[in-house]
Amino acid sequence: MMAGIKALVALSFSGALGLTFLLLGCALEHFGVYWPMFVLVFYILSPIPNLIARRHADDTESSNACRELAYFLATGIVVSAYGLPIVLARKSVIQWGACGLVMAGNCVIFLTILGFFLIFGGGDDFSWEQW
Amino acid sequence: MINDVLRQWTDAERTAHVRLRALFETEDCGVYREPQEKLKKSAGSGHNRSMSGFLDGIRCGDCECNVDWGEKRNTIASIAAGVLFFTGWWIIIDAAIMYPKEEQFHHAYHTCGVIATIAFLMINAVSNGQVRGDSYSEGCMGQTGARVWLFIGFMLAFGSLIASMWILFGGFVVTDHKDLSVYPGIAVFFQNAFIFFGGLVFKFGRTEDLWQ
Repeated sequence: MMAGIKALVALSFSGALGLTFLLLGCALEHFGVYWPMFVLVFYILSPIPNLIARRHADDTESSNACRELAYFLATGIVVSAYGLPIVLARKSVIQWGACGLVMAGNCVIFLTILGFFLIFGGGDDFSWEQW
Repeated sequence: MINDVLRQWTDAERTAHVRLRALFETEDCGVYREPQEKLKKSAGSGHNRSMSGFLDGIRCGDCECNVDWGEKRNTIASIAAGVLFFTGWWIIIDAAIMYPKEEQFHHAYHTCGVIATIAFLMINAVSNGQVRGDSYSEGCMGQTGARVWLFIGFMLAFGSLIASMWILFGGFVVTDHKDLSVYPGIAVFFQNAFIFFGGLVFKFGRTEDLWQ
């Protein structure tokens, strides 16, 4: 139980760090434009395929087409979260420094989400009252 | 100091101890070797037997993460296919944003990528089991229908790949307009190549053997 609380605090710290990178990429005086905030949509969308696949199919089988489709879509969302800042920077809507900060924030946030799934997701029934 | 200890032991204890140390002090910890081999190796490099260095505590073979790569194969294939497929689409999004005018990049060339995506969905909609005829449910059209569906899907996939090469060379490389940038043509080609290979990895990279 204690390990659960420690992990939760660590994950929330890394989540806050990632969001800080994203916000720095938008709000620094040097940059000033808020277009990179659109990657928040990808952050919110990325765990959804995996959650749906866990609910829908039983994960006692070793190979599961629904889960693999969920991995495929989740990977696509992650790739899109990296692609959007690059395309914006190439079109000079945002600066390359802001792009770099947003991508660093992406890495941290997606590692946080992955950490959530690894630490808190491996139960038979995925419920919100697990801890 | 260790030699003093060894001298007090019996022969059997000594051999066992030396063998045990040889097991841990060999440099390639990941490879299993016969204990006699390890003994020979550590006898050859006997310089660190009596002194304890600060790296003595590191054991390389003790990692508990026994990853079963057979089980992870489907996951890795799905993730690799996702990276390839969506990278292809972001390449064409980038090209469409950088060259928005019709003269630079005919909007009709997007059709190639759309057909490639439809082909990807068709190929991955049927499982190998349905084509072989040994799945539990017959599906909409049975085994023959699954084969026809897969055939059409592969034809569309190969066709869109060939069409993307045609677009690159016919529309952008061999052209009268000398100031036309070739980048949109390359983007169309890479988009279709990535989508094609993403489809192949997703279809053939995953195994359907539930029991191994």
